[in-house]
Amino acid sequence: MASLTTSLNMAVQSLGAADAGLQVTNNNIANANTPGYTREVAEFQEETPTAGSISSGAGVEVTGFQSIRDELLQRQIEQETSAQSGANAQQAAMQQIQPVFTTSTDDIGTDMSALFSSISNLSTEPTSTASRQAVLTAGQNLATAFNTASNTLTSQQAGLNTQVTEDVSQINQLTKQIAALNPQIAQLNSTGQDAGTLQDQEDQLVVSLSKLTNVSVTNTNDGETLTTGNGTPLVVGSQSCALTTTIGSNGTTRVLDQTGNDITESLTSGDLGGTIQTRDVTIPGLLNQLDTLANQFGKAFNAAQASGYDQNGDAGQNFFTVSSTVAGSAGTIKMAITDPSLVAASSDGTAGSNGNLTNLSAVQSNNLPSGATPGDAYASIVYQVGSLTANANAESTATTASLLQLNDQLSSVSGVSVDEESANLIQYQQAYEAAARVVTTIQSLFTITMSMGTASAD
Amino acid sequence: MRVTNMLPDMQYAMQQSQQALATAEQQVATGNLVNQPSDDPTASANMVVSLANMATVDQYTSNVTALQSQMQMADSSISAIITTLNSAITTGTEGANSTENTADRQALASQIEGDLSSVISEGNSTYQGAYLFAGSASSAAPFVAASTTYTSANGSVSSPLAATTALTAGSVTTISDATTGETMTFKARAGDTIATLQAAVASAASSGEISSGVSATINASGQLSIGTPNEGAGIVVSSNDAVLGSMSAASGTQVANAYAYVGDSTVNSVQIGTSLDVSTNLPGNTLLTAGPNVIGSLSKLITALQSGTTAEISAAVGSVSSALNHVSEQRVPLDFTINQLDSQDSYLSQEKITLTSQETSLVGANLPDAATNLSQAELQNSTVMAAAAKVLPQTLLQYLQP
Repeated sequence: MASLTTSLNMAVQSLGAADAGLQVTNNNIANANTPGYTREVAEFQEETPTAGSISSGAGVEVTGFQSIRDELLQRQIEQETSAQSGANAQQAAMQQIQPVFTTSTDDIGTDMSALFSSISNLSTEPTSTASRQAVLTAGQNLATAFNTASNTLTSQQAGLNTQVTEDVSQINQLTKQIAALNPQIAQLNSTGQDAGTLQDQEDQLVVSLSKLTNVSVTNTNDGETLTTGNGTPLVVGSQSCALTTTIGSNGTTRVLDQTGNDITESLTSGDLGGTIQTRDVTIPGLLNQLDTLANQFGKAFNAAQASGYDQNGDAGQNFFTVSSTVAGSAGTIKMAITDPSLVAASSDGTAGSNGNLTNLSAVQSNNLPSGATPGDAYASIVYQVGSLTANANAESTATTASLLQLNDQLSSVSGVSVDEESANLIQYQQAYEAAARVVTTIQSLFTITMSMGTASAD
Repeated sequence: MRVTNMLPDMQYAMQQSQQALATAEQQVATGNLVNQPSDDPTASANMVVSLANMATVDQYTSNVTALQSQMQMADSSISAIITTLNSAITTGTEGANSTENTADRQALASQIEGDLSSVISEGNSTYQGAYLFAGSASSAAPFVAASTTYTSANGSVSSPLAATTALTAGSVTTISDATTGETMTFKARAGDTIATLQAAVASAASSGEISSGVSATINASGQLSIGTPNEGAGIVVSSNDAVLGSMSAASGTQVANAYAYVGDSTVNSVQIGTSLDVSTNLPGNTLLTAGPNVIGSLSKLITALQSGTTAEISAAVGSVSSALNHVSEQRVPLDFTINQLDSQDSYLSQEKITLTSQETSLVGANLPDAATNLSQAELQNSTVMAAAAKVLPQTLLQYLQP
């Protein structure tokens, strides 16, 4: 049969259990706003009763503290984070490119129209030096617009090279930290302890890593093994596998794995993936279209110029200096003539003839070798830029909403509810007070019991 | 589902509503639904084409405006020539009257000389510094008083030019003949000499391109002399050959009432619409020296009045009448062009309205809709803010007794 001492011990256990509950609640409230924190609960268990003729409960035992986590949701968040960062990287680059192709007073389309307007105007007064100068000025403006657009794209590419280097540096720092946490977590897990705090830190680091590149996570006895999407190891147990960068033959920064293999093209997500996608696919595609337009337009204009005569009666010289190859044409196109009299307006060599201006004007409406008129070719580039930017915006918005939803789901499992913790606080406070009252009651019973002998002696 | 923290969702909702508000504000401020290519890639691409079309229409309109003034100026000159020719016919008819004496006919001849000067003046009229009837050579007066002899600036007794003197390759020497109304052009090629030029002149005189007897010789002063033996005829010679130097009329050789056309036959055209070009000039040789030669017929009438018979005066009047008909015929296409310009002006105005409307439908915002959207976005933003302000401070702790 239980004695007062047994009851006192049980009350002390109750005090300890309530204290443990208060401690967990306190920790949860303290970390309510800590990123990546997973709420903890104190786990209680009934104490096994002692054997006897009459069995009663033996109190409560605190068996430990447990973090409430959902591995599947965590992995989904990492994947969505990776997708969001990739979209954001493309969005950021496109939003810097887009203004160059937005209709303004000095975009390529406007300057192209201005050149043909100046030619048409010259046809009404072919001997006017002012009108001839206007043609040269319009040509210069168009060449400058091509140069500006090309420089914007190539500057973006150069900037993205720097971004690749920075991302790889951050990836290496994060994988090093994860590799350091892995053995600590493995050790705690092997002894059956909850590695909640360390696991929270590791999960946060993996999310940060996912912002930079797509990561695949596999749980092993040695902790988490992390690889990129194509299986390139980043962390294996306590070992981190550092990535390196090198300058490729085309001048771009390439990413190499630990054994020196070029894995650049396999990085398709995260900030690094989005950056590489923009640098190696999106911008080169736009540059190629721009270079093709500048090259074919310049050559077509020069051919029209060559079919006529300048004001001195000489055969028309090149109007634009255009690269012989398509690559780089938009960046290097420039005026070949600066003397207004060299505009080949004449079709018969007489100074006042305007017959060749028809040929120059026809460049506007004739198809270039690409199969489109210059205006349509430029409109196609504008469509591409708009479409790429809109897609990046939509992808960024969609992944942000999706990520918000996943975080809400994870938060409903692992997040700290201050209201819930406040209720728990009251619950454990009351439990503590009740246990303390039991102790007080037993103390008074002890006192009565002790005074029983004293009273009979008197 | 446990709801642990509403802040991220509220922040997202606020960002979304603020983005919608910013977009609605931009649309109202600019009047455009599409302000950058990503707003509507297809509309933006179509807008590039539409703006190019708009610029083209604007330039066509500008061309039409410029040509209308120029064409009207040319038409006024031709109208003045017609009036002058009618006056000359009246004067000539009076001179053909058998009752007129020699003195009267001399006076009438003087009147025709005045008419001829008026015609030449109209033929040399300009618009904004360009000669209207010079073909493409619009920087110099197309009708020049003719002389019988032209000599080169270069060549002297001590250093005479010779038949073997080499000419500058690419140089051009022209002989405009007041009698035939035509111009012989000699372009020197490598290896050509003055002898080559002399042969070319002889050939042109033989073929009738220039008057028979016109020849190129080295005169006693060692200069190249190009002249005609016929004192009643005249030529105008020019050359840009540095070996010869400029060609100038020999003193005292100018021929009265003889004018040569030194312009060219080039007709320029200007585009004023898609596939619509109009001729912008009428070369002076077509107008005044080709066919029934206006200048030649007036010169003949002067000569007939001065020294001819009644029959010769009547015949000369007949020539002037033919010339008048010719000029009137030449005026018809010019007037047609003026009408075309007026019609095109109206069409382009309508086209501009159509393109502007197209532009608005592509990227423009319907202002009442945009204003309504802005109002809704403001309301939505206010609602989200109010909801956040209401919900976020709510915790159990507020309701617990201290």
